[in-house]
Formats: sequence, structure tokens, C-alpha cells
Amino acid sequence: MLRESSNAADNEIDLHDITEGYRHDTDIAHAELLMGFAEAVARRDENGTSAHRQKMLELMGEPATVDAAAIAAAFHGFVRLADAIGIPYEGAAGGTDSTEMRDEIGISDFYRARNA
Amino acid sequence: MTGNPFPDSPYDIRGDLLSAHEAALACIARPGTWLTGGQRVWIAEEVRNARNCPACAELKEALSPDNLSREHTSLGNLSPAQVDIVHRVVTDPGRLSEGWCRGHIDGGMPEGEFVEMIGVIAMTVITDTFAFGLGLPEAVLPEPAAGEPSRYLPPGVRREAAWLPIVEPGDEVPEDGPLYPTPTAGYIHRALSMVPQSKRDYWNLAGAHYLEGKQVYDFGDSGRAISRPQIEIIAARISALHQCLY
Repeated sequence: MLRESSNAADNEIDLHDITEGYRHDTDIAHAELLMGFAEAVARRDENGTSAHRQKMLELMGEPATVDAAAIAAAFHGFVRLADAIGIPYEGAAGGTDSTEMRDEIGISDFYRARNA
Repeated sequence: MTGNPFPDSPYDIRGDLLSAHEAALACIARPGTWLTGGQRVWIAEEVRNARNCPACAELKEALSPDNLSREHTSLGNLSPAQVDIVHRVVTDPGRLSEGWCRGHIDGGMPEGEFVEMIGVIAMTVITDTFAFGLGLPEAVLPEPAAGEPSRYLPPGVRREAAWLPIVEPGDEVPEDGPLYPTPTAGYIHRALSMVPQSKRDYWNLAGAHYLEGKQVYDFGDSGRAISRPQIEIIAARISALHQCLY
């Protein structure tokens, strides 16, 4: 979805950002800030979340901050749904994720992939 | 309905988001298909408790998720199997396994109950994570509503693609109620389909946070205050931090 949406918007992305964090080659607006917010929320880091939220409010505005929090929340639910029901991951992203891409950016090292 | 779950919010939260939170809290407290309203509220309470469980914290750092060295610290309302499901799904979802899942089923838990539990857990995690992201207090869980679970089992459900049974698009019957917006709905849409009401409740909440079904494959205007690539970079990073392959 990231790759498809970035292609549609003509944004450059470095897919290693997904597994390694922001590395400065992705040109999505405020990518570093949004990823930092996502990381702080996922780690339930109150101070980090608050700092990123304040910066989002300043730079992106309140509606964008609320929507960023909503997206972060949604994916905390989706991952639990997918991983607890054990749905097949080969069809994720419409089946467009190649094995080579998964290997290259480290997704193949995730627990479920290693123990499949 | 339970009223505005974030009455002291300094932020102007979209109306559809607030409505989805209100509806989610109300449906958590309603009798489900396999669980009573009281059991569903206990599950939501245990979700919050799991974040502070010392055994889960130890297990998260352990090389193997199979080495639970001591009992979970629970609120005492759920069975040990239910507590284990709640705690592991909340604290270490990326290291769940088919053996773990089927172990609970072989131990006597009805598959429908397991699926419904996952729906309640995921909805509670969404509502609480949204509050955490905005620095708001978690919503107060409502009092459970009276009534008995329906124990409805879709006739088309079968275990084939996933660890638990699902209703594949095309196998649904009118008695299931609406299940899929399109016959090509992805597996994430099918995950809770064994319990149709749980699926509808979950997606009512999740769609308001992410995108409604018809928007997911439209990469143009996101309809949100952030662009689609911005949405997806948050989504992808969170999925990776949870070691989720999907």
C-alpha cells in the first residue's frame, strides 16, 4: 500500500524505512515526524508521543494530528487481527509484495516468516 | 450509545470518529455471539491490565515466546486460557503461532469464542491507542448489557486458509448479514468472518480510523487530513514494529 500510494503520488520512498526507521531518502512530506510519532505510540512512550504530537500540531495542524493518531490506532488493531487469526500473508498488498523485496528490507526475518 | 468518550479533548475530533468510538464501546458491552456483555467488558479491562503484566514483559524479552516462566498477572475475571489469549495478543502479537492458537482450541475453547475475543481485544486496542496518541484519558468502559450470546455459526465457515475458520466471499448466506463489500475482499477483511457481528463491529471502528472499504484501493484523495502516502508510512512502520507480515 505504501509503494502503490507513493507511486500514485509520485513520492520517492526507501522501503528500508519500514523496518529500520527513517533514513532520509523518502520524500513524503513530514515522513520523519510521522514515523517518529508512530514509533513512540507503538512503544507507548508518553514523552516521545507528546513531543511528536506537539510538533505535528505546529507543522501539520490539528486535523492532520488527529488523523495520524487515528491511523496509528487502526494499525495497532489490524496487526492483532492478522496475527491472532493467522491469515495468510502471501496475499497482503494485493499479492504484490515479492519475496525478494521482503528479503531485502528484512521482513523475511520477522518471527512468523522464520517459523513458517 | 455511551456518549462522547473523550469529553475533555482539546482537539476537534472528526464526528465519524467520535461516533465510531461511541458505537464500539456500546457494542463491547452488548452480548456477543459467544460471550456475554459482562465477559466482553472483562476482556476489555484485561486488555488494559495486560500492558503492565510482569510475565508478559519478561516473555517479550525472551528468545522464545514459548518460555512463559510464571503466570500472567490478571484481574481474576477470565479463565486462564482467556487471560493468556488477551495478554499475548496485546503484548507480543508478532510471535503468535498456529501451535499456540490451536493449543487453546484443543484445550476446549470454542473457535467462535476465540475469534470473538480477538475482535474485542482489537477494538479495545484501537480505542485506547487513539487516546494514547492524543494524550487523552482512556474512555470509560460501559456497564455490560444483559442478554445471552446468540451462538450463531455461519453455515459456510471453514478452516482452510487461516488458523481459524473463515467465511470466504461467496460462501456467505443471508442469515450472516452483510459481510463483504466486494468479492475480492482481502484476508484482513475475512479474519473475523466466523463471527459476522464481530466483523461488522470491528470494521465500523477500523474504517473510521483508516479508510472505508471502497477507499482502500483508491490511491487518489485519501479523504483525510494527511495524504495517502503519509497514512501508509505510519501504517507500515507500526506493522513492522509489531513484526506483522501482513
